[in-house]
Amino acid sequence: MGKMIKYMILGILNVAFLWVALFLLSSQAYFVFVLLLLGALLANLVFLAPKGYPYRYLLPAAFFMVVMVVYPIVYTVYISVTNYGTGNILHKEQVIAQLEDRYVLEPDAEDYAFQAYRDDRGDLWLLFTDSRGERLLGYRGQLTSLQEQDPLLEQLADFAELTRVDLVRATNELSGQSFAYDHTHELRMRNINSFSVYLQQYSYDRENDALIESETGTIYTPVGGYFQDPDGTRLTPGFRAVVGINNFRRLFGNPQITGPFVRVFIWTIQWALLSVATTFVVGLFLAILLNDPYLRLRKVYRSLLILPYAIPAFISALIWRGLFNTELGVINQILQATIGSSVPWLQDPLWAKVALVILNLWLGFPYMMIICLGALQSIGAEMYEAAVVDGASSWQQFRHITVPLLMVSVAPLLVSSFAFNFNNFSVIYLLTRGRPPIVGAQTPAGHTDILISYTYRLAFESGRGIDYGLASSVTLVIFLITGAITFFNFRFTGALEDVNKNV
Amino acid sequence: MKRIATIFFLLVLVMSLSLPTMASVPGELLIWSDGERAPVLAGVAKEFVIEYGITVRIQELPFGDIRDNLAIVAPTGEGPDIIVGAHDWLGQLITDGLIEPIELADESAFLQSGLDAFTWGGKYYGIPYAIEAIGLIYNKDLAGDEGPETFEELIELGKELREEGKYALVMPQPDPYHTFPFFSILGGYVFGLDADGVLDPLDVGLANDGAVEGFEFFEYLLDERILARATPYDTMMSLFQNGNAAGMITGPWAFGDVRSAGINYGFKQIPSYQGQYGRPFLGAQGFMVSSFSENKMLANLFLNEFVATKDTMLAIYEGDPRPTAFLPAADIINEDPDMRGVMESAAEGIPMPAIPAMNAVWTAWSDALELVINEQSAPRPAIENAVQLIIQTIKDSGY
Amino acid sequence: MYRKHSFFRALWRHVTLLLFVVFALFPILWVISASFNPANTLVGQSLVPRSISLDNYRQVFTSEQYPIALWIKNSILIGLVTSALVVVMTSLAAYAFSRFRFRGRREGLFASLMVQVFPQMLAAVSIYLLVLSVGKIMPALGINTHAGLIMVYLGGAMGVNAWLMKGYFDTIPTSLEESAMIDGASPFQAYYMIILPLARPILAVIFLLQFIGTYSEFILASVLISSSEKYTLAVGLQLFIHDQYASRWGVFSAASVLGALPIVLLFMFLQKYLVSGLTSGAVKG
Repeated sequence: MGKMIKYMILGILNVAFLWVALFLLSSQAYFVFVLLLLGALLANLVFLAPKGYPYRYLLPAAFFMVVMVVYPIVYTVYISVTNYGTGNILHKEQVIAQLEDRYVLEPDAEDYAFQAYRDDRGDLWLLFTDSRGERLLGYRGQLTSLQEQDPLLEQLADFAELTRVDLVRATNELSGQSFAYDHTHELRMRNINSFSVYLQQYSYDRENDALIESETGTIYTPVGGYFQDPDGTRLTPGFRAVVGINNFRRLFGNPQITGPFVRVFIWTIQWALLSVATTFVVGLFLAILLNDPYLRLRKVYRSLLILPYAIPAFISALIWRGLFNTELGVINQILQATIGSSVPWLQDPLWAKVALVILNLWLGFPYMMIICLGALQSIGAEMYEAAVVDGASSWQQFRHITVPLLMVSVAPLLVSSFAFNFNNFSVIYLLTRGRPPIVGAQTPAGHTDILISYTYRLAFESGRGIDYGLASSVTLVIFLITGAITFFNFRFTGALEDVNKNV
Repeated sequence: MKRIATIFFLLVLVMSLSLPTMASVPGELLIWSDGERAPVLAGVAKEFVIEYGITVRIQELPFGDIRDNLAIVAPTGEGPDIIVGAHDWLGQLITDGLIEPIELADESAFLQSGLDAFTWGGKYYGIPYAIEAIGLIYNKDLAGDEGPETFEELIELGKELREEGKYALVMPQPDPYHTFPFFSILGGYVFGLDADGVLDPLDVGLANDGAVEGFEFFEYLLDERILARATPYDTMMSLFQNGNAAGMITGPWAFGDVRSAGINYGFKQIPSYQGQYGRPFLGAQGFMVSSFSENKMLANLFLNEFVATKDTMLAIYEGDPRPTAFLPAADIINEDPDMRGVMESAAEGIPMPAIPAMNAVWTAWSDALELVINEQSAPRPAIENAVQLIIQTIKDSGY
Repeated sequence: MYRKHSFFRALWRHVTLLLFVVFALFPILWVISASFNPANTLVGQSLVPRSISLDNYRQVFTSEQYPIALWIKNSILIGLVTSALVVVMTSLAAYAFSRFRFRGRREGLFASLMVQVFPQMLAAVSIYLLVLSVGKIMPALGINTHAGLIMVYLGGAMGVNAWLMKGYFDTIPTSLEESAMIDGASPFQAYYMIILPLARPILAVIFLLQFIGTYSEFILASVLISSSEKYTLAVGLQLFIHDQYASRWGVFSAASVLGALPIVLLFMFLQKYLVSGLTSGAVKG
């Protein structure tokens, strides 16, 4: 039975691999094909080799992790060496196609009204009439001048003339038609009523990889993501191009960017630490209270206390922003009424930070509470019973039984929660947006900006629009920092070590 | 082994039966619209089907997402044919190569300022349906039926109201868009024009003498408690809705909320100061055609014949009352005093700069406002510093 | 650790808990107040609106343009399927990490967490492109399908969840499995018949966390899902905040309140598993 299941799973996997592989081959994605082949090989190995047994359990989760999490990382690395951003989002081929498709209307050219006919084979015949009544017949890209009572006209009479509805339905077909007007100009559809004389603005010379402007003969060559002429005039749109370490150079070579780094970094660390500490302490405290089987109404308390987690964060952050409002906010109204003074919540650097920590505590303690509630279950009652027999106080029980055993499953979580808050862009953005601003600042960083929100400002409020290339390179730098801290934390907390040695 | 074979077979069957996805198809139009315009467009789509048998599908997105998602989706060929959007997206969308010029069947049917806003490099890139500008919404019970004409009047009113704990004026803060009239009132501007009449991203006029004087006047209003301090939009709105403010500087989007609170209100252009009117940003909204549309000609036809009509424009107005940019509908719409007020205000407006460099302006400017609102800096050093930062950021990105 | 309370011990507990309940509920009362307030403000001057109406709720259920009830259904469906699959995948992985010793174990554990530390600024762009190409091979998993979205969410199954579960498994003594294996059970049977039932609390925790996470995710969903009838609630709610100045706070609040209900119900349902894990005496280490 077990074998049966094993082979079935493997069979399904291999069919899937085969399916995708065939598609990749037919669409000539050879690189991905090779990757897939390696993956398939690995999967089969894991299933067939006895040594691969443990890996079978990992396969499903690992598969999705690699596809959905690792892929974006690889993508980010790729973008970090490109100029991807406003003005450079298209691929070069798309830009060439778009520029080649640009036609200029001849300034004094006249409009041709037209009638369209369809012959028995389904081909279109177009009868053009200019303002003086001169007529041209267009068929398969060729134009023929017509005389009065031309025999061709009689031929047309046999064909079906397109009504207006037919014309509209055939718009795509009509707008695809082009008739050689003279050596350089074409007769093309202008709108549903007329055709006109156009000049193709640029043509692409594949051999020299250059665009040539038809009217002036100017040659535009690709430089750094743009087609530009010898004077440096650029054509828009630009395209996505690999620019090497340019983004990193901009990052490290610009004192405007590196200047506030230390200050922002220190606050980022403080922020992450405070976030983890406050949410965990409150979450654990509540979990312990609520885990008490003798506590009345504990189900009600639990359900009420997870509510902050059930409301979308972006709406609760807006509410909090209103509550924190210095002049009109409820918190200050209460403070006024009770202690007779109010707090400049979002204007003062220190209080803005306090407000952020309070908001994050509100948002985050239910998460920690749920986790602790779950983790507390792993501690058997007999542990405590034994401790009580030994005469341990509640605090001693907490200190020597609850905390160590809880940490087995929760410590890695705290580490990852630290990393999460280190990059917790949304809370900062929703409440303060990095504000309050710094008086006389020479850089776009506010008092409560953490590394990631500062990055966001750099990349999304740049002078050219959005700068994904720069964003990606900063992301990688931040990843290195976060990764290093996480690694250090793991060594420090021993979270990687196994408590359970008796396996 | 037999069972394995069966499973192979079933799997292949399932995969080949999988449904096709929604994508932009030749011969069919796909429109990305915001919520307000979507129902109207759905009605127009029905007419189009009846007339020509061509399907028009409407996909609703949050307004701002239309621009952001277009940049991701359109280049993959999955995007729309037509989008609804604002004129200040033009710079980004055009430099990205995402939208196409539009051929207007009848230019004279549109308000010139609406057309100007959608013009780039001498070509039209959108069919405007609405223009908007902020002005003064005033509570007739507090500010009189006519409302204050000048800031000098407003200050007198404020000195009375502050005794009751009320304000003469509220506005969103810190909010550069709403505060711009204070900068423009005595001669400030965002970007100057170069010799060719094109916006020059390195000529930032937010810290010239006129701008600073206007900014100092703004600070004076705060200090005198004429203007409520540090109110975000929601707080401002609830102050006005509860009758605690005589005037509110904001735009036509606020009418619904004001009306629902039962305030007896009027709308007029922003008061004058020293005899000069504060000029707000002018904004225009319209329909644009994607560069990646498979049906550009059809999209043009749809817009010219079915959207640029009196009926459609009136329906758009009914769904979300904003002054129209379509003249044949303007007579009816301007019978509404609110709309007439917005039109008057817009007539004084300066089109909001549509160049991508504007991206570098907002936050630095907003920070300068905030420092002054929080009494942490005087207006002149705050805004001078911001302008320096803006120019530096723009230079850094390659101008 | 726990024993019957004297009156005063019980009192301070209730007082403390009530304080936290006030802290937790205070902002939420504003949402609830706004949902009954016809004036469409979010941060009103007073908590009790001047007039109360059910208009916002009526709109939630009747609007054709915003089929919120349908969106809630979609969200619940996606949330349940994702969470169930995540629990299965994670528990398998955690079992291997906890019980087997194999090459790359530590590295794998560490890597699974490290990749989650990566700031996901460009994730939406890259995942869109990825799902787009997946859809070209298998349309059923492509753009604008719930299956595709669920697949994306499964990417987050490893990482924190696997760690949490592994930590919990580590605290379950191995003696029961060992005796089962002596009786001829395979490791998979030990996992299925011994570990899983004992680990119910943590399975419930992960199910709940994953459900809430999936339920409220909107960045990826809004990029991947493009037709209104397939929206999740979180994406649909975004439509209300469609521009900064003209938001429909009333309806939005009503939808938020209704949208929070499934989470609360699920939590109430899972509560008994959350706190009834290892019964005393079931395992003796």
